[in-house]
Amino acid sequence: MAKIVLENLGHSYLADPKGEHDFALKPVNLTWQDGKTYALLGPSGCGKTTMLNIISGLVAPSHGRLLFDGKDVTNIPTSERNIAQVFQFPVIYSTKTVRQNLAFPLECRGVSPSRIRQRVAEVATLLDLDYALDMPARKLSADQKQLISLGRGLVREDVSAILLDEPLTVIDPQMKFMLRRKLREINRQTGVTMILVTHDQSEAMSFADEIVVMKDGLLQQSGTPEELFSRPQNDFVGYFIGSPPMNMINLDVRQGTLATDALSLTQPSPSESNALLYQLGIRPEHISLVDQTAENVGVGTIKKIEHLGVDGIVTLELAANVVIKAKTRKHTAMSVGTTMGINVCQDDALLYLDGRLAT
Amino acid sequence: MNKVYHTLKTIFLLGWSIFVVFPFLWALTTSFKDANAITSGATYIPWVDFEPSSQGWTSLFTTGSQGINIIGPFIDSAVVTLIASLVSLILGTLAAYGLSRFEYRLGFVKNSDITFFFISQRIMPPIVLAIPFFLMLKELGALDTIFGLVLVYIALLLPIAVWVMTDFFSGIPKELDEMAMTDGCSPIGAFFRVILPNSVPGLVVAGMFCLIFGWNDFFFAFTLTFTETQLLPVSIVSLNSSVTPWWSLSAFALISVAPLACVAVIVERYMSRGTMSGAIR
Amino acid sequence: MLQIDHLTTADAKVTLDDVSFVFEAGKIYTILGRTGAGKTELLRALMGLNPLTVGTVKLDEEDITERPIRARNMSLVYQQFINYPHLSVLDNVAFPLRRQGKDKAEAHALAGQMLTTVGLGEFLQRRPAQLSGGQQQRVALARAMVKQSRILMLDEPLANLDYKLREQLREEFPRLVADNVESVILYTTTEPREAMELGNTMIVMHDGRVIASGAPADLFAHPPTKDTASVISDPPISFISGFVRDNCLYFSEGHLAPSEGLLLPADGPVTIALRPDAIEPDGAFNAQIGLSEFSGSQTIIHLDFDFGRAIMMVDGIEAFTAGNDISVSIRSEHIMLFAPDGGNITLRNNQNG
Repeated sequence: MAKIVLENLGHSYLADPKGEHDFALKPVNLTWQDGKTYALLGPSGCGKTTMLNIISGLVAPSHGRLLFDGKDVTNIPTSERNIAQVFQFPVIYSTKTVRQNLAFPLECRGVSPSRIRQRVAEVATLLDLDYALDMPARKLSADQKQLISLGRGLVREDVSAILLDEPLTVIDPQMKFMLRRKLREINRQTGVTMILVTHDQSEAMSFADEIVVMKDGLLQQSGTPEELFSRPQNDFVGYFIGSPPMNMINLDVRQGTLATDALSLTQPSPSESNALLYQLGIRPEHISLVDQTAENVGVGTIKKIEHLGVDGIVTLELAANVVIKAKTRKHTAMSVGTTMGINVCQDDALLYLDGRLAT
Repeated sequence: MNKVYHTLKTIFLLGWSIFVVFPFLWALTTSFKDANAITSGATYIPWVDFEPSSQGWTSLFTTGSQGINIIGPFIDSAVVTLIASLVSLILGTLAAYGLSRFEYRLGFVKNSDITFFFISQRIMPPIVLAIPFFLMLKELGALDTIFGLVLVYIALLLPIAVWVMTDFFSGIPKELDEMAMTDGCSPIGAFFRVILPNSVPGLVVAGMFCLIFGWNDFFFAFTLTFTETQLLPVSIVSLNSSVTPWWSLSAFALISVAPLACVAVIVERYMSRGTMSGAIR
Repeated sequence: MLQIDHLTTADAKVTLDDVSFVFEAGKIYTILGRTGAGKTELLRALMGLNPLTVGTVKLDEEDITERPIRARNMSLVYQQFINYPHLSVLDNVAFPLRRQGKDKAEAHALAGQMLTTVGLGEFLQRRPAQLSGGQQQRVALARAMVKQSRILMLDEPLANLDYKLREQLREEFPRLVADNVESVILYTTTEPREAMELGNTMIVMHDGRVIASGAPADLFAHPPTKDTASVISDPPISFISGFVRDNCLYFSEGHLAPSEGLLLPADGPVTIALRPDAIEPDGAFNAQIGLSEFSGSQTIIHLDFDFGRAIMMVDGIEAFTAGNDISVSIRSEHIMLFAPDGGNITLRNNQNG
């Protein structure tokens, strides 16, 4: 178990980085508490895998330090870091039974047979794989194989953190849901820190206590899922977190206030701002569609209704050709072409200046 | 830290290069020596260490007691190797494509058995093959002919081509052929239009192997020819007399290495242009 | 119109078991099923890539079962981004046109147009390997569409893409295929949301069979079998074994389920299915919170009842601490009942819902 600190940690694959753009991971400062779950989130090529490789020790960072519990491990090899990894595709010893798979890391470390038996039994119970212990590992389903990969890390009592590199990619949607729950339960019961790398924002949101959003090697925002959802620091986070993305509506400066024809929401114009672009960011989930009344902040015509099961996504066209999306559970009662009243809570409409959240 | 590493690397590579190049240097200087110069110990610099002589080289182009003419054997060798390699590569590529894409079943014999059958041809020691080959060529009246040697070499090179190409084709996703067929190609059209253009790296490797094995073979060239046809590796033997003619042997060695060295340089150029690597993800 | 009858395969790891269906031109069919349900096998059987033991494929009343692949007038987009590595992007898309006998200039012109439609107008001379995954899949899509073939098949085309790219391509998809009005479009996926969003008709597959088909919203509201309900629900639907006694529905002994508005079957065991929207906070049922997950503006709470596990979704961000007890209500209009053997629904809610 360990607290992980990234101290001004950055990496460039070039020997002599000239500017910002030469860094695959621009220097960051982060502190990850022991026993919590974290997610590194971003599109491919954002630097999340580089960060994971630095933590696991596969890549030595060109800048900064990495601390486990205050101890500098920047240049310590992977094998001495007590890190366990689960990869995108299940890595199991297919010729061995589940029991042998789980026992293998301990056998390699020369743990006594009685202790191995005990640990394997404990971990198998934790993973709900008791019944399968003597089955050949190759006979298991993809999600069970992933649990075994995880179990091989868990049997070691000295493990500091478990790194999960897109472990749910090859799993069917419903099984993903169950596996995610299992991961969280294991985290709670064992108190082992888990770091998940993913490009799937919904996965990151439901898995992690804290999410690190990255793009182009640069940290965009780090915080709890609630923070990232309700107050995205910039337009990228607003776009990347949440599905559909945050609605961004352009505002004009009108007599000292910022306003749009689409909605009757106004924002005071910031006094000391020379921003070129003013935008109002509203989450599709924060838009409620109601019958038209005088109190509505706007009206819109329904252009499209997408049925997604329990909830649906409604595309509306507002005044001044502004198109927004709203997420609702009442979509089954709506039809394309009708005009709906729109309500948005003033607190849920955020002001962005040149793509950055106004403070 | 980085500087030290670079210096060490340079020193190591320099040392290694000398180690590799040295035998060639030795052969080159020796080929310009005469009997006296050779017996007087290790010397390398012409005109200073020893008096150069062109005897080693001229003896390879004169017939008679002074040497042999290797132009004939060189051409024979080139013809046999090239034809055998080309035929093996064509047949081997087609066979390998079939083995990697279609399922064959003859009783209990399946694709993997057929592939193994090809490779098994190389398991036996050459001496075991020599006698049957000899008898068969005799039946055909092809002993001591270029035609006969080409036949034998095809038998020897085909397994290599099949092996390399089967492995290469199985690395190309089947979906690529299927897509070509949905796009309107016949199976054979899919092979020529899509698979073959993406197989250049495999073809080059297989071709190289064929050329190297074919060019360097001594044993079959020796047992299956007498006087009419003579390949390069065999002709060198006739150079050996009571006094070992080191100068001629050295010149000969350089000449016989030259074609393969040329091929290697061309292929290396081609490879470093990056046209072959990364064709298939 | 594409008609398939009794398609059955034997060779592959996953086999088709007597699949029949009629596809109409100009519609998008999404084929939903888990890994190994037979989705890919169905497409491959249609293409003629997997041999049939039984069955016929008819295109506009004409039997094409024995026709070679190249003459079937079908195209397929694979899950892996398969393009011709040795050809430029433009030549990749022109390739099928050239095989149709069009001259180079015409093929290039049409291919260029199609690539502009999919948003790759700037990359005509690049090799596929020089593009990102999303762009490579756009090339594959362009090549499949440019032929204007009668049947356009897409085999989990977005599965290997990043989440946001997937979202974007899904959004664009209807526009991209809008020109293919003559085509039957088949689209396989493991994601219920994707299948519902894109399909005019949704086909649910399980164990090599088609187990349900229909308009996505109808199918979601009234799944005909337990397997169907399970495959099309994400987040997952929860099944609880209960029973009916004296015209009352019970989750278990001592746990009377709300049954207002439900037509109950005769006394005996039933499987009760609860979707996340069937459960709301506050009410007569007590449960322990197993886990709470945050998902957009919703909170997903895993509940452990005495009689089984279920999932509740609550709007807004609320703190539910794992391990705590909570009381919830269950809405009878969102309850579904299935026969205990998992077979056909014995009964469904008689109200709208």
